[in-house]
Formats: sequence, C-alpha cells, structure tokens
Amino acid sequence: MALAYRLLHMLKPNQTEASTAELIAHWQEKPAPLLGLLHALHDRDGYLSDESLRAVSEGLPIPLADLYATVTFYHHFARTPPGQRAPRVCTGPICSQRGARDVLHALDDAREMPCAGRCDHPSPVLVGQQVFTAASDATLTPIPSPLPPINPSAYEECLFAHIRDAGRHTMAGYRASGGYRGLEKALQKTPGDLLALLEESRLAGRGGAGFPTGQKWRAVSEATGSPKFVVCNADEGEPGCFKDRALLDHDLHALIEGMILAAYATGATSGFIYLRYEYPETLDRLETALEEARSDGLLGRQIGGKDFHFDLCIRRGAGAYICGEEGSLLNSLEGKHPYPRNRPPFPVTHGFNDCPTAVNNVETLAAVGPIVARGAEWYRNLGLGENAGTKLISLSGDVRRPGNYEVPLGLPLQTLLNDWAGGPLPGRQIQAVTMAGLSGGFLAEKDLEVTLDDPSIRACGSFLGAGGIMVFDDRRDMVDVAAQAMHFFADESCGKCFPCRIGTQRLSERLSGTDGPSAWTDWQSEVEDIGSAMASTSACGLGVAAPHITQSLLKYFPSQIQRHLANQQDLP
Amino acid sequence: MIQKSTTLTIDGAEVAFTEGETLYEVAQRARRPIPTLCYDPRLEPFGSCRLCVVQVEGVRNPVASCTTPAAAGMVVHTSTEAIEHHRTTLLELVVSENRQVDVDPLRGYASQELTTLVDRYQARTGRFAGAQSGTSHSEDDNPFILRDYDLCISCNRCVRVCAEREGDYAIAAGGRGFQKQITTEFDSILKDSSCTFCGQCVQTCPTGALADKKALRAADIEEPIEKTRSVCPYCGVGCAVDLMTKGEQLVGIQPAMDGPANEGALCVKGQFAFDFVQHRDRLKQPLVRGVDGQLHETDWDTALDRAAEGFRQVADKHGRHAIYGVASGRTPSEADYCMQKFIRRGYGTHYIDNCSRA
Repeated sequence: MALAYRLLHMLKPNQTEASTAELIAHWQEKPAPLLGLLHALHDRDGYLSDESLRAVSEGLPIPLADLYATVTFYHHFARTPPGQRAPRVCTGPICSQRGARDVLHALDDAREMPCAGRCDHPSPVLVGQQVFTAASDATLTPIPSPLPPINPSAYEECLFAHIRDAGRHTMAGYRASGGYRGLEKALQKTPGDLLALLEESRLAGRGGAGFPTGQKWRAVSEATGSPKFVVCNADEGEPGCFKDRALLDHDLHALIEGMILAAYATGATSGFIYLRYEYPETLDRLETALEEARSDGLLGRQIGGKDFHFDLCIRRGAGAYICGEEGSLLNSLEGKHPYPRNRPPFPVTHGFNDCPTAVNNVETLAAVGPIVARGAEWYRNLGLGENAGTKLISLSGDVRRPGNYEVPLGLPLQTLLNDWAGGPLPGRQIQAVTMAGLSGGFLAEKDLEVTLDDPSIRACGSFLGAGGIMVFDDRRDMVDVAAQAMHFFADESCGKCFPCRIGTQRLSERLSGTDGPSAWTDWQSEVEDIGSAMASTSACGLGVAAPHITQSLLKYFPSQIQRHLANQQDLP
Repeated sequence: MIQKSTTLTIDGAEVAFTEGETLYEVAQRARRPIPTLCYDPRLEPFGSCRLCVVQVEGVRNPVASCTTPAAAGMVVHTSTEAIEHHRTTLLELVVSENRQVDVDPLRGYASQELTTLVDRYQARTGRFAGAQSGTSHSEDDNPFILRDYDLCISCNRCVRVCAEREGDYAIAAGGRGFQKQITTEFDSILKDSSCTFCGQCVQTCPTGALADKKALRAADIEEPIEKTRSVCPYCGVGCAVDLMTKGEQLVGIQPAMDGPANEGALCVKGQFAFDFVQHRDRLKQPLVRGVDGQLHETDWDTALDRAAEGFRQVADKHGRHAIYGVASGRTPSEADYCMQKFIRRGYGTHYIDNCSRA
C-alpha cells in the first residue's frame, strides 16, 4: 500500500529551492506571471501554503480574496500536503472502464483527475511531474506518449506526414524532413500574401469551433490596438481528445513554426503556449524546442534578417477544462478568475490584456507550415468532396486499434472504425460513439453512417468539434456512460452562468438516479427542458454542448433509460 | 464630443440608441420589461443569470441583453414564447437550488427581487428537485452582515459591488460549478478579511442571502416598514438614505440608490450605526457633577450656568485659543451650525471642528 511513497524515489528532484521572495522577484518581471509563479511555489512545496499566497498577493499584487478564490478554482493546485506529490489517477470515460477505479483505491492518497489525454494507452497516473501508466495491479510504469499508428490508408497526411520520423521532435530532425521551409518561403513574401494563402487553403479552427483561420488572422492584422499576441490553445481537456498531445510531444517544431507564421501574418510580437497541466513531460520538450528555435534565430529579434520580432513562452494550466474556452484561457493567462468572457468584443480585437490576439488550437497552427510549403490547393485537395483539408481524430474505447488518426475531412466514420482501426473487439458490436470528445454527445444506429465533416455530423444534431471519438460496444450501459459524462461537465462547469451551473448538476442527478422523478414522462420533460434552456441560454460552449449527452441518449436509448428508472422504482 | 445616435427595432418598435448602450439599457428606456437577477445598473454587466436573454434576428441562439452592445438595424424580440419558456425553466432551477424564496424585506434593499420574479413566472412548481447550493457562515458573529449562503444563487453581485464600487476586494467566488461559494481570503470570517462592513453587498443581494442583521432585530415587530428619505449626518459627503421605521421605531437604514452623492453606497457608520437615535442610554435631561463626584439630573439653567462658568474660567486663565470645539457627527446640521457660531462668536476662536471631517 505504500506504493505512492516508493514512487517518490523515482521522481525527478524538485527543480528549485529558491525562496518565495526570489521566485516573486523572478516572475513579477515576466508577462502573465501568476500561473508561472504559483506553479513554481507548488512545485517547490507540493502545495500552496497560506504564507505563499499572502506573499504572492503582495508581490504581484493581486487581492488576497481573489487569489485564494482563483486557486480553489483549479483542481491541481493543492492547499495541503502531500498535495502535488500524491498520485492523481485518470478516471475519464475510457480509463474508468479499464480499471482506473481499482488503481485509485490501490494507491495511497490517490485522487481522481478528469481525462488526462492518454485514452490510447490507459490509464495515466500523474505523480509529481511525471506521467505513469498503471497496470491492472496498480504497478506504475513511465511510458512515453504514444505515436500515432502507421497511416493505415492511401490518403496523404498533412500533420502526421513526418511525425513518426526518428528525431522529428528535434530541430535537426524537423529540418531534415522539410521543417521550417514554409517559414522561409513566407518570409520571402508579405504578410498579406500569407493571409491570402491561408484564406485560399480554407483551413479552419481545429479546436472545434471551425472558424476560418485566414479570416481570424486578417482581423488581428487589421485591428488597431498593439502590441498583438498569438496564443496557442494547448489546454486539450476534452475527454477522449489526445491529438494535440501527439503533435506537442512528437512534432513540436511544427507548432512553433505555425506560431511564428501566425505572428508574421498578424503583426504579433509575443506569444504564449497555454499547456494543460496533465502533460508535464511535454513542457520540458517544448522548453527545449523553444531554446533550439531561439539559437537558430527563428525566435527573437530580426527573424530571417527582416524587421520581424517575435518570441513566445509557455504557461501551464492548473487543471480546469473551462480554460480550453478562449475567454477563460485569456483570463487565466492574465491571472484573473478563469470565467469565460462576454462576447463581443472578441479576442481578435480585445484578447490578452485587451490587445488584438489570435487564439488558435495546436492542430490548426501545426498545419500552417505544410500549407505554406506545399500550397493552398494541395491542402484543400486533401479533403474529400467539398471538404478542405484533414482532421486529426483521437479514437479510443472499444476498438481494436485506438490511437490518433489523420483523416481526410469527409471520410465515412465506418471506414475509420472498421478499416483503419480494425473494428469492434472480437465478438462485439459497436453500440455508440461519442463526437467532439463528450461535447457532441452520442451517435448510434443509422447515424453511424455519417461522414467525418461538420455538415454531415451536424445534420444528426452533433458536431465534430476537436475530433475525439470514443467507442462503446454492446457491453456498455449507455445511461452509466452518460451519467459519468454529465458528472464531468458538472465538475468542470465554471459556475458563472445559471443554466450550466444548476443544469449540469440536475442532469447529472437525473442520469445517476440520485435525484429527480422516476416516472418516465416527468423525467423526460425535466431533462428536455433543462437541456433546451442550457443549449439556448448558456454563456459559453460548455453549457451549450453538455446537453448533447442527454438529448442523444433520449434519441437513441430511451429503453435503457426506462430500464434504469424501473430499477430505481424497485429499490426499497 | 457628439455621440452618434442610431436606431434598432425592439418588439416591433423602432428605438434610438447611443453607441455604447447595451440591448438591456435600450429595452429599459423603451419600457420593455426584461427580467434579470444578476444586473445592477451601477456595475459592469456580468451575464450570469441569463434571464435577460433576447432573440436577435439572424443570430442562432438568444443573447444576453445585458452584455450585448446595441447595433444599428438589429431586430430584437424580448419575450418570444421560447424565451419565456427558458426563463421559467431557469427560475424553476433557481427555486430548486434555494432553501427559501420568501424573505423578510428587512434583509436588504434588493432582497425581494427573486421572490418577485418567481411569482411573476409562477415558478414554484417543485420541478427539478435535487441538491441545494451554498453553505451559510453561521459562525461569523459580526454584528452587521448575516452570511446566509443557503439562499445564495451565485449571481456575483456582492463580489462585484465590493470590488467595483467599494474597492475592498474582500470577497470572491471560490470553487466552481455547483460547489461555487462566495468566500473571503482563506474562507475567514469577515472581521479577519479586508471587509469594511459598508453593507453594499447586503443591499445589492437579490435573495437576502446577505442580510442586515441589525434591521432583522425588528423582524417580529408587526407594523409595516415605512421609509423616509434623509441625509446621513456622519460626514460631509451627504449620502442619501432611507430611514426604515416600524411605527415609532427606527429599525434600519438603506442607502438611496438614487442618492446623487452615493448612488447606493454607504460606509459602516451610515449603514449600521444608528442605535444611538433611540438608545436607552441617551441623555434626556441635563446632568451636572456634584461634590460627591457623581452626575445628577438638574434643570437647563443650572447646567448652562455651570458650563458657562467653566468655559469662562479657562478663557480668562489661558486665553481664547484654549477653547477647542468638536461637534458630533451624530447631531443634526442645525446643531452643528449653532456649535460653530458658539465657538467662533462666543469665544473668538476658529478652533472648531467636527468629527465628520475625517
């Protein structure tokens, strides 16, 4: 049972013994200092003490009540020992089906954490600054972040074309397979040429919103405020999504190249990568890559010998799904309470510190280098039919070969499930899949015939989103799956707007059967009314999307719900 | 600078607006009643309750009117059937999380807002039963502010008024989701926080979760509450107040939201320090000290003679500047005037001050 403590010996030593005053002096000169400073103290002590918070409050400065409340918002900031040194076990939708709860009980002081982005190799356990993979007997092994499976098709890849090349994550490896050629090419031309090329390529936001990238960058470029910023949203928190992790771990110069190109196109002079907490090794790799880029003159002053200056830094999140929402992310970077922002104004004119800011997902940014290098038409033609380009799909759950796949937009879902990923496990049938991680709810029955593009999936009442697809075969109780999903949304709701704060709680209670009517018609009417109010009036995408879970459950699995309700009535 | 004015359509009527106005503000002017619980016109729009959503033609989802800037040519519908249905659902959800909807109006200026809306939308249906939110701080034994978070609906008005109007930043919203809870630094009691007990959080709370403890002492008095407009005497700002009485009893003070000097603000003294008015220790007869060293009741002539004699002796012995008058902030302005006249004219010194000058 002392496994957790034995683990401590395997961990990296604490990176700093610096005093609180030294850390504050170091960070208060930096942009977006709060998260960096809190992590430095948290890494040093394993938790955030009252003394540390008082010093931070005075040093930055930030009102103590605000600071305290904001620290309590992030689930990875501990306030007491063993805090950060205690194991945190992923109990996401896939891991909890692979024995994660047994692991949780077997490890001393272990706490749950929501999906940590290793659904292709469950179940991750975070101890200190390292990710381990837990076996069913709760032994922990540090296993590197899995690469995407070999391209199973004849379709050409854009993002994954070279990701499996040895050494691709280093500057030398990246350059060896054509890296930074897009940047060199772009710097020969004007920022206006780059914007036109992006618009022509029809690249759109791959974090889920699907906003045309060229149009976004043009808006930042034309905005009057300054300085301008580029922010990479690497807070991949959607359960069942782990595709950004693959790029960040194995092709990180592609991201950096994309960010430099974004800066060139928009006129930005600084950038941030907002990285989710659950990818600690990725942080080290990114820091190294940034250093490589700086020594090659790709970041800093006079990039490519031109009057073009740009540098970027990394800030880690601290465990909050909502920080993947761009307004929350910007508030989090600024050290404010991470509630979503009211829109308008939009980040393109009022982003980081109210300055024009391009906020883009990792996958979107990583596609820009290849697009510039090979042309807009090449990229557009990678899609099938009317669709332009490719999409990364994180496929997990009950299929033979889970993993990250790069699909041409418009590929039939069945092709991905059966031909690429080997289909269901022996003797099983696929009952349902999720879309957009959990945010798109379920697809089942004839809707499994969709093609992987938004028009097709939206016609079924769902959306492709960030591209997480979790597969549930005929063994799975879909009401239980839905209950866990809604529990996640309730836990991650920021609590700002009423429909989401109360609605996710009520839907969660109704799905788990802890509260609510047991008569089918009452249950249905309550769940539909809550879902409809949430979808129509919530302040951000979390509350708007969460009822996809209940709406799709009602659409495909009414009899499973009725069975659950009948069982509740049978209870004494 | 001339502000640009242009028009939009609200519920079929063309309404002019000024650039920078929100849809909610324009609708208010056009007398379209839009419900809200998180809105306070003195604060930055927040957009949490979502009751104020309106349908804008050409926009897929309803938008929160309090945070949406008016734009030329917008066609806005403030109460479609779908929107009214969502509003009812939202209010039913709020009732379901709350432990008590009807509260004593003595709790605070805005304390009836939830009750009023719940009744308007007939939202006491008992639907959406489940866990209730918020935990009261019964251990906070400060004499002024009741922290009855059992009734809190997380609208953040208290947090915003504390930061935006008072500048105290004493409270903040901790945690998240349904576990969100208004808190202070390290979840302490208010005395150990940077709270100055100005009471503004109490007066903006739409559910009475934050309540005026002093006013609530009069909860059992049967008579109705009467409000009388006055001006706080404590300092020179001139905050407008409404004195709340039940019969002959002064039971509480509320800031006047339309007071030109204070716009709903007060300080701890103006808000809570009124007990002296009808205090049993208050002097009703002049007292003079006898040879026994004790104070004894007497008549005004005797008392004034004794005081005059004392002052004259000091002035004769040490000169006119040995007299220094400090008037009380608890007296009416007329008495303050007499006091300075007495000191200036009577003794020929300008050594006159008032404790309200601070």
